[in-house]
Amino acid sequence: MPFVRRYKDMNTNLEALYKDIVSELQNEKELNIGKELKGDVNGVPFMSVTANRTSVPKLITGTLREATVTITGERNDYLIEMHTGEWFSNLAMPYFGATILAGPLAGLAAVGTTGLMAANYGRKLKNRIKELVKKHSKEKYTEEKVETFT
Amino acid sequence: MPFVRRYSDLNTNLDGLYQDIKKELQQDKDLTVSNETEGVINDVPFKAITAVRASLPRAITGTLREVTVTIAGHPDEWLLEMHTGTWFGNMILPGAGGFLVAGPFGAAATVGGTVVLAAEYGRKLKNKIKELVKKHSGKAYSESKIETFVS
Repeated sequence: MPFVRRYKDMNTNLEALYKDIVSELQNEKELNIGKELKGDVNGVPFMSVTANRTSVPKLITGTLREATVTITGERNDYLIEMHTGEWFSNLAMPYFGATILAGPLAGLAAVGTTGLMAANYGRKLKNRIKELVKKHSKEKYTEEKVETFT
Repeated sequence: MPFVRRYSDLNTNLDGLYQDIKKELQQDKDLTVSNETEGVINDVPFKAITAVRASLPRAITGTLREVTVTIAGHPDEWLLEMHTGTWFGNMILPGAGGFLVAGPFGAAATVGGTVVLAAEYGRKLKNKIKELVKKHSGKAYSESKIETFVS
């Protein structure tokens, strides 16, 4: 599920924000930066980074598969989109139901808690991005300057 | 939006299927394969391939950003998941609404017809995968052997 926020009147250094987000993704040992795209789209600055899981997961259902963060706009009016993809998310359900649907594959998520789960990682990254937006903005962060689309 | 199908009793050559899906992704000039994951999880064979957009899009909203295809299971009992990601998919609105929500970038996808839209690409790939499943299966393909899960 993508998470999009629009930020206004924050005077944010978007280049620095982007670089810190890339560092954040690089710091996660299970992820590897797969692609970065930077440029202008119809005159609007655009930066996007995708990190993929580097190794075979210990679990399948609900495990983080990739994360993409995109920043587009100007320092006083921009959008951040965060996408965290997970495997077989629509098979996530209690263990027994999952095994009925898909044999041992779908129930794996319920067995252990050591996997890098997309939902947990998404929450962590969302909070981290909020901190980074504050760090790189010259104007004060207030809720009325932020609009969330889910 | 992920699309998951469970296939039973088809005796499918999953390696052959995976290689053909990989070729399909490689043939698209707008995509580049960025990651492949292969292994066994709790004795279940697992393969996943991700291709990401290779170049800056001409439009943002609704444009294909990445595609991942995952195959997990055995020839007679396996799952296929196809995920097509799109930029700002939850902001897709008619042109004027797009401008209201997100300025010029919100409406950009409505400007030209040349962009690779995720929804369109997803439909095309889904049909191609169906053909490939038939090609690589040792038993007759029938709807009763397939179960589809969408969220």
